[in-house]
Amino acid sequence: MKRTCRVAAFFEGGGGPRTLIELEHVWVDLDGRTVLEDINFSLAAGMFLGIIGPNGAGKTTLLRVILGLVRPARGGVRVMGMNPDELKHELHHIGYVPQNVLFDPMFPVSVFDVVMMGRACCIGPMRFGRKDDREAVEESIRMVGLEGLEHRLIGELSGGQQKRAFLARALCIETRILLLDEPLSGLDLPAQDRFMDLLTDLKRRLGLSVLFVSHDVNVLARYADEMVCINRTMHFHGKPADALGSERLKEAYRCEFDFLVGAGGSGHTGTGD
Amino acid sequence: MSMLAYGFAQRALVGGLLIAATCSIMSFFIIVRRLAFAGVGVSHAAFGGVAIGVAAGVNPILTAGGFCVLVAGGIGWFSRKGRLHEDTVIGILFAASMALGVLLMSFADAYNQDLLSYLFGSILAMSWTDVVVIAVLTVLSIGFLVLFFKELLFLSFDEETATASGIPVRFVYYGLLVTMALTIVVSIKLVGIVLVSALLVIPGAIGLQLCRNYRGVLVTALIASLASVAAGLYLSFHFDVASGATMVMVQFVLFVLSFALSPRRTYMSRLRRGAAEEPGEGAGQRDDRLPMGTDTVR
Repeated sequence: MKRTCRVAAFFEGGGGPRTLIELEHVWVDLDGRTVLEDINFSLAAGMFLGIIGPNGAGKTTLLRVILGLVRPARGGVRVMGMNPDELKHELHHIGYVPQNVLFDPMFPVSVFDVVMMGRACCIGPMRFGRKDDREAVEESIRMVGLEGLEHRLIGELSGGQQKRAFLARALCIETRILLLDEPLSGLDLPAQDRFMDLLTDLKRRLGLSVLFVSHDVNVLARYADEMVCINRTMHFHGKPADALGSERLKEAYRCEFDFLVGAGGSGHTGTGD
Repeated sequence: MSMLAYGFAQRALVGGLLIAATCSIMSFFIIVRRLAFAGVGVSHAAFGGVAIGVAAGVNPILTAGGFCVLVAGGIGWFSRKGRLHEDTVIGILFAASMALGVLLMSFADAYNQDLLSYLFGSILAMSWTDVVVIAVLTVLSIGFLVLFFKELLFLSFDEETATASGIPVRFVYYGLLVTMALTIVVSIKLVGIVLVSALLVIPGAIGLQLCRNYRGVLVTALIASLASVAAGLYLSFHFDVASGATMVMVQFVLFVLSFALSPRRTYMSRLRRGAAEEPGEGAGQRDDRLPMGTDTVR
């Protein structure tokens, strides 16, 4: 099938490690206002890249640029070697977990139904899910540890379980890249730890490349291979260890804060003041 | 003499059941996508469309069809392009269309008995040609809703992720609005402009009161919709009263009953728990219809 060949060729072709996402001098204007300026970074295969920045820094817009939903005013975006027009047909390789799904708690869908929604792009319009789609959904639910809760209404789950259901929805396709937009928001610290442990385990087992947007510098310092800090423009790009105490991070946030844990270290995480 | 011995009653029953089937599926999406006010707005906008037909001397249902599709599309376009909430746009277009209708009717001097049949429905006016038109539009509407069901469900639940997944969100959204407009137009003959929005809301609301999952909601809505149209028609024939209003009142009674008997009501869940605890009567059975809103979070 043409759709699969394009991505398969990208991953199977010769050469060194693959660069899955590449942004070069990207500028984005929304409503006549520049919201992103000269953004440059790349996501290599198997990497966990963290994006941090204060509220309104343009983090979600950046994800929308990668997904091809927002077109940059200037600069180039390539995802798995494709431009945004070509990517439209390959979105079933990108799992997306949005920041907040503002759904009605009474919405009459089960966890299974919600995860099955993720398969819609694989099934295609005017077609119905088949046995292999149901198996993919069940496997995905198992992977995130929600087995036994498949038939519960999504609104009946706790916040942490809902986040895992949305993670399962992002994984039930042929996921190569996982984009997560502040998935820890609204979770208490133990739930955050459980979510991050699950995510790192799935990343390793499935060979995923992860782009993780967060407010929490300390979480990314602990899990990310590389970190990008933006506040409209890029303020830092490098190893989390190099970010520790960096004036450029404080400049981006326009405030003082402390790291509670070092990169790759252990112990609890938390935001400083 | 049996009601079905009359040709008009046969036509009304066949047409009514077809409309009831479409409205039941549509009502599910109207509720979960929160388009109830859009239903009211587009149905009242049909008055403008009918007036254009009356003033121009063409079949008012045809002009109402075109006009309603235009207004439904306008609701989508203005709210998306103009960064306005849907209800704001509906409020504007609803009033403007009604005003246009009143002006055209005044110019055409057409405030007559015929107009009342569009406002409140008239099964006597339903011909076999109307039934065929209703059947064709029913097939098209149900066809769209079934073929794009998973996309409509995804869009209604989480539009952002649906867009990010490559779902043709704009096409599906406008398709839903146009289907709603066409459903409204074919329902005008049955219940009229003023009451049609009830058919587009109440069946889904009954389903949501009684069932937790969308499959159950859809089946319940379909049964409630078919039963209320058939019962409404029979009662209106028997008591010689307005059929559209009778159908809507039957639906309302069913809604009140479903509300009272809903597993979501605390007394109903207590009743079920009490019955389950009685020895030999379902004790130990899995309760798979837990009331929503209760603390079921693990």
